[in-house]
Amino acid sequence: MIISKRIRRAASAVVAAAATTALLAACAAGTASAPSSSDSAPVEGGDLTFLIQGYDAGWVSSKTSISSYEGNLWGEITDKLIYVDEQGTLSPWIATSWEELNGATEFVLHLKEGVTFSDGSPLDAAAVVDNINIWAKGDPDRGISKVGLFPSGNFDRAEATDSSTVHVFFTSPALSFIPTLAYHGTILLSPATLALSIDDQADLAKQIGSGPFTVKSFTQGDSYVLEKRPDYDWGPEAIGHTGAAYLDTITYKVIKDTSVRTSTVASGQADVAYNVEPQEIESLTDQGFVVDTPRYLGFTDGFQVDTSVAPTNELAVRQAIQHGIDRQDIVDTVYTDKWDVATSFLQGNVPEAGDYSELLSYDPDKSEELLDEAGWVLGSDGYRSKDGTTLEFTVTPNPYVPSTQAEDELIAQQLKRIGIKVNLNVVDVSGYAAVLAAHPPLFQTSRSFVDVGTVAGILTSQNKGEDWFKTGTSDQKLNDLANGIATASDRDSRQALVDDLQQYVLEQGYSIPTVELVQRLYLLSPKVKGVTFNGLAYANFATAWIAP
Amino acid sequence: MSRSYGRYALLRAAQAVIVILLAYVGTFLVISVLPGDPITNMLRDPQNGLTDDEIQQVVAHYGLDKPVVIQLILSLGRFVTGDLGFSLQSNLPVSQLLGDALPSTLTLAGTALLLSVAIAVVIAYGVQYLPSRWARGVLRSVPSLFLSVPNFVVGLILIEIFAFRLHAFTTIDPDSAAATLFAALTLAIPVSAPLAEVLIANLDHESRQEYALVARSRGLSQARLFARHLVKPSMLPAVAMIALIVGELLGGAVITETIFGRDGLGTVVQKAVTSQDVPVLQAVVSLAAVVFVTVNLLADLVSPLLDPRLDATSRRKATRERDATSERKLEVPA
Amino acid sequence: MTSLTGLVAPTERIRAAGRSAVRVPPTVAIAAVVIVIVLLWSLVPWLFTSYDPSVGDTAEKLTAPSGAHWFGTDHLGRDVFARVVYGTASSVTSALVAVSIGLVVGSVIGLASGFLRGAVDVVLGRVVDVLLAIPSFLLAVVIVSSLGFQTINAAIATGVSAIAIFARLMRAEVLRARGSVFVEASYLQGGNRLHALLGHVLPNTYKSVVALAVLQFGTSILVIASLAFLGYGDPPPASDWGLLVASGKSYATAPWLIYAPALVIVITVLSVNRISTWLRRTQ
Repeated sequence: MIISKRIRRAASAVVAAAATTALLAACAAGTASAPSSSDSAPVEGGDLTFLIQGYDAGWVSSKTSISSYEGNLWGEITDKLIYVDEQGTLSPWIATSWEELNGATEFVLHLKEGVTFSDGSPLDAAAVVDNINIWAKGDPDRGISKVGLFPSGNFDRAEATDSSTVHVFFTSPALSFIPTLAYHGTILLSPATLALSIDDQADLAKQIGSGPFTVKSFTQGDSYVLEKRPDYDWGPEAIGHTGAAYLDTITYKVIKDTSVRTSTVASGQADVAYNVEPQEIESLTDQGFVVDTPRYLGFTDGFQVDTSVAPTNELAVRQAIQHGIDRQDIVDTVYTDKWDVATSFLQGNVPEAGDYSELLSYDPDKSEELLDEAGWVLGSDGYRSKDGTTLEFTVTPNPYVPSTQAEDELIAQQLKRIGIKVNLNVVDVSGYAAVLAAHPPLFQTSRSFVDVGTVAGILTSQNKGEDWFKTGTSDQKLNDLANGIATASDRDSRQALVDDLQQYVLEQGYSIPTVELVQRLYLLSPKVKGVTFNGLAYANFATAWIAP
Repeated sequence: MSRSYGRYALLRAAQAVIVILLAYVGTFLVISVLPGDPITNMLRDPQNGLTDDEIQQVVAHYGLDKPVVIQLILSLGRFVTGDLGFSLQSNLPVSQLLGDALPSTLTLAGTALLLSVAIAVVIAYGVQYLPSRWARGVLRSVPSLFLSVPNFVVGLILIEIFAFRLHAFTTIDPDSAAATLFAALTLAIPVSAPLAEVLIANLDHESRQEYALVARSRGLSQARLFARHLVKPSMLPAVAMIALIVGELLGGAVITETIFGRDGLGTVVQKAVTSQDVPVLQAVVSLAAVVFVTVNLLADLVSPLLDPRLDATSRRKATRERDATSERKLEVPA
Repeated sequence: MTSLTGLVAPTERIRAAGRSAVRVPPTVAIAAVVIVIVLLWSLVPWLFTSYDPSVGDTAEKLTAPSGAHWFGTDHLGRDVFARVVYGTASSVTSALVAVSIGLVVGSVIGLASGFLRGAVDVVLGRVVDVLLAIPSFLLAVVIVSSLGFQTINAAIATGVSAIAIFARLMRAEVLRARGSVFVEASYLQGGNRLHALLGHVLPNTYKSVVALAVLQFGTSILVIASLAFLGYGDPPPASDWGLLVASGKSYATAPWLIYAPALVIVITVLSVNRISTWLRRTQ
């Protein structure tokens, strides 16, 4: 038996829990008002109203993949095996410890004892095995799909060796298995819930988790009232409070319109609003409100480039776009100083991310030069063309990040200066996936992950990969990097490959990052204290209270 | 008399059923042109990481791989038996979604109807009796102004002033009495305008009639004259507009409910449109057609019984020729 | 609002009958000037502003109305007045497209069923019934969602939802004209149906149809603005008036982003309605 570095990492995280919590609290409070969230003792009781865009995707947890909106509610009614903090550090939660065996092909999870789902059934090894099976395989007969990021390609089986131990087998190394257990898609549900038909699973009332809150009542699509579980005693130590929540209830109220959500909290009629307009933040903080902009681990805001279609099948065009975007202007205009320009396509808090800002410099002269050399001639209408074809493409703002519409409008303005015509196509969350299916030259992506190893799964078409850049298997260097990262058995060699990858992908213009993504913005009334945020940028309200 | 009325009633009812069924088929055909479908869209979401084969399995599970005609026949069959199917987006029964949304929309539309009548009467009264000629002129142009302001602008202004500035209602609880009143006001304003115009025009006409002059000469107070002799006869053409008004209220609910964040049929439509939730869209449109056709049918069935001028023999002729004479009422439908 | 307003026409006409000479009231003159300006905005927008509607100066974002920017600037520093002016083309032109569709298709249906009667009338009558049975805005929403979210599709949807009104009016006018002495006479004298149609029916109907068309033009501007507001028109950087209001409401600190385009919509539609009313009264 080899005990992995990862476990040692986790153990040290637990020891450092108190310190981490203080740090998190400081982060959570945002800017100068850091101590405000921890300067008073928690107050028991209170009802929190949380305004959110919508819950349109339904509650079949595996079918819809958990969206940025549903994820907020799921996170309060369910637990996960492992916790991940904003720095990407894993720490125990329902799994008190874990072992990695046989070159990361087998894993043993040791579970906390005495944990129960809200229907009274035990969260034991058998329940965890049921969950892992659904994450890995789904149930096509019932129309239930697997969890996207789960390493299911090489998943073999999961077994309960006793009531608190689970043994998981893979056919090849699966370094990303353990981190994925902290992902917001891998939530633990009661076996009774997992056994329901897909139509029954659509009913939130039948979703039984083990989290600090339970569903008290709801009106589908309108409001959802959660109440605390008084006997909850198994929260992650990393957030500094493992017991029952302080708040009595959380009411998630759907208000679709961003400005209405903002104004409602600003006028004192609600406590928290999700996703406010970034440009309104300054006037809100001036009024004493707190706006938290947690960052998740994952890809930055930006575009994945389809190299199989015109005009982005040309290297010169891709590079021209890369240098034709003024990222600082985006931050200054669309966002605030709480945002940072991207320096890679990986978020800065991903441990393996590097600083490649030189490859992403704003240099319109260079862009124009590249396009001139490639034969794209500037026409009288201000746009370039070659052989009668105008240099143009359509981008679709990412509907999960409302501010991307303004961002893409600005990018269209910037690229117009170098003679590229950018059209916008605005769709709702439900139409977004169809956009990708139509092979757009640039596709705006937001994706969180816990482990950089999962990046290997998007680079090429090998091993059922997502093939973001549509190179298939034609780019040998990309193939090698993807394989190397996927099969790496230690982190140091993987780090070197990830460095190479970032350099190569940016140079080739396969990925065009823009800014560090803040997908989840929380506008908090000054009365709301103690909110913590996990590594996927979701708020934990188990630690929060409302100041009297 | 009763036999010929029975025949007439039966004929009209059959006609109504045909229109409803045609509306259903028409809507189905329009909607099935929609590109893509929400299930595949959701499954194609890269976060799901599914292969095409896996997607195909789920699509087959929902019957979305069958030809359009088969889908239409199946869907029409279910509709006739009262089964509206399941929402593709939320997996809930459509009848449940509509049932949940209906009370909110009925409250909103009902309040808006009352408000619009009240507004129209006040305007009409003012136009007749305000002492200042100038004020009467201004009031006379109010309906035209009401018809020129987009619904969404009215809603935004009311929310900004009464919710955020004056705290007269809260956007969190859009179903509260106060919030409902303001939402209904938004909806009532454009609807009240044509009502007011009809009232004004009829009042102009009636007040020149002999009986009004006689009543006035007898010293009947202005308000009583207005209420008893002028409004009552003027209400008849206004009542004839009820089916159209109901339609307008349902259409206007899409915008009003979206702006006020109410969960009614309008919001259901809006969500169904953006997510291409075909069964829901189909059901709402059919429901609207059923409501409209039923209200019209009732009006048609009741009016010959009430209107003494229509005797048994002339009734069918009257129905047949109504369209010919309806240029007086332009587009009041049969 | 689409179908209700026409109801007023008859009584207005009664009132108008009492007057004799046609004179242009000052409000109608003002309304006409507004319409002319708006039409010029849609034809030659560059004569009215030197700013580019789609490219702004980001350093000047969200500035209040001033001498340099009459309607202020938006979140990307674009001149809102320029966006309104350049947005006129699609806001107003598409309303014209909508009216044309309703007018042409509706008139053909109405003429056919009024003139041919019999089975044609029954079939077309049911089609019109179906179109009328669905609230016009709901119908427009469903059609535009089926065709795709573009302003031209919104215009088509608005036009289709107006077909029934024109069809009904035209049919009623044809029936009325048919019954008139002229047509009876021309028919008895051996004139054919088409001749009667062209010679007597159409000239007698155009006035009421024109009045309805103008009214429907104002309504269409509102319907298309509403569809654009809901996001069913062209995406940004297009600047349809309804879309301008919709995107402006995200910025509570910049109320001019809502009020400027809203005011333009109101004034335009008010002017159209004023002219429509005047047309009806002078018939």
